Amino acid sequence: MVLPAVGASLLLAGCTFEQSALHPAGRDAQELSGLTWFMFAGAVVVWAIVMGVTVYAVLGRKRRRTERFADLFILGGGVAFPTVGLAILLVYGLSLLPNWTSAQAPGLRVHVQAEQYWWRFAYELPDGSRVETANELHLPNDVTAEFVLTSTDVIHSFWIPALGGKMDLIPGRTNLLRLTPTKAGTYRGVCAEFCGPSHTFMAFPVVVHDADGYASWLAAEQAPATSGSELFAASGCAACHTIRGVAETGKVGPDLTHFGRRSTIGAATLVNTRENLLAWLADPQRIKPGAAMPGFASLPETDRAAIADYLMGLK
Amino acid sequence: MTGQIEQEVKRETGTGTDLWRVIVSPIVWAVHFLFCYVYGAVYCAKAGRDASLAGPTVIIIGATVVALVLIGLSTLHLWKVRGRSLTDDDFEYEHNTPEERHRFLSHVALMLCVLSAVAVLYVAIPMLYLTSCR
Ligand code: HEC
Ligand SMILES: [Cu+2]
Repeated sequence: MVLPAVGASLLLAGCTFEQSALHPAGRDAQELSGLTWFMFAGAVVVWAIVMGVTVYAVLGRKRRRTERFADLFILGGGVAFPTVGLAILLVYGLSLLPNWTSAQAPGLRVHVQAEQYWWRFAYELPDGSRVETANELHLPNDVTAEFVLTSTDVIHSFWIPALGGKMDLIPGRTNLLRLTPTKAGTYRGVCAEFCGPSHTFMAFPVVVHDADGYASWLAAEQAPATSGSELFAASGCAACHTIRGVAETGKVGPDLTHFGRRSTIGAATLVNTRENLLAWLADPQRIKPGAAMPGFASLPETDRAAIADYLMGLK
Repeated sequence: MTGQIEQEVKRETGTGTDLWRVIVSPIVWAVHFLFCYVYGAVYCAKAGRDASLAGPTVIIIGATVVALVLIGLSTLHLWKVRGRSLTDDDFEYEHNTPEERHRFLSHVALMLCVLSAVAVLYVAIPMLYLTSCR
């Protein structure tokens, strides 16, 4: 049976809140959830006033009001109140705008390239070189990370609700977003701009580590793969996928160098199990309509099993 | 006293407002809006992401003052034509006379003035919070 990660995360969401803007685990999300609660409280107050006035108008004592009262009521409730109320919300929202400049260097820079329907992540090292990976983001806690956002095909949007606001990835443009996680844990990021039939299957786990945990993750991610596979190249996978140290020409699909360490398959579409991987290799389109990977049902089953074992072993 | 009579006479003869008066304040709003956004976009496109917005802030505040003065002048004029009350109990719009048309139009135009003034302010407020082109 194919166990969709989406279903699993829905079940888990009840207790872990991995994709909740109201359970902030980052600086921006903290401020934004403050705004959300403020607006919610304000809405309750406005609702209570409107309902109160309505009930009074229907059931209250019928007493003739002066024209002056009517003027003031309309001016106060219809003009002054909404104008001031909206101005307060506008100013509150504006005060949350990020105001960093390029002179303040981020602690970490990650290049994010969105493609239908997955994410290319490249970690910039201090020497300027990049470590390529895909579909799973790892961040150090309490460090400001800058995301350099681009897209190759259509407009996508990069959103990790637990960490902060979202930002579009627009073909031909580079957008910058900075996020600072404040709590270690595992969260979920999503594409937040409809981008095609598998838009909902374009998500990614976000793992926030303490400093040591992040350093050891990055060191392991940087290392090339320890073993090669004849079948991987012979079956045509290498035309699209890179496995550093083994096959480095394929640039069409996600980097698979440490695929065995990822928790999901196909940008958080399936939980990463052998069974799910076999299903993915046989027919990705059935799992993820419109995905740019062809099905390999034509390969002998033993070959697919061997490739799956090989990929699962890429720790 | 004579001033009041004059005004009353002016109303009866039905001068006071025309279509142009009705749309002038929304036009000021639109021009102010376009100016702020087009000017800001051009400035930042030329100056780059990290450029400070101190200069444009002053210019946009200036444009906002100009827009508010224009809307204020229009409001002042309309106030004289329109009459006394917002809910207008003193006047029934039942006859198709020039006076009623003019007073109705001035009433609408006055509302548009208020709306436009608020809108102009809302367009300008973000400028006070932005510090760089980023
Ligand atoms: C035509 C190019 C192409 C070929 C050939 C190809 N793939 Fe893919 N593959 C992709 C693309 C594109 C994706 C991303 C699909 C998505 O998630 O939208 C992908 C995704 C994957 C994933 C999931 C990666 C992740 O990060 O979750 C695995 C695993 C995978 N491919 C394995 C293989 C194997 C094994 C072969 C050979 C049998 C193969 N692919 C052949 C293009 C290709
Ligand atoms: Cu997308």
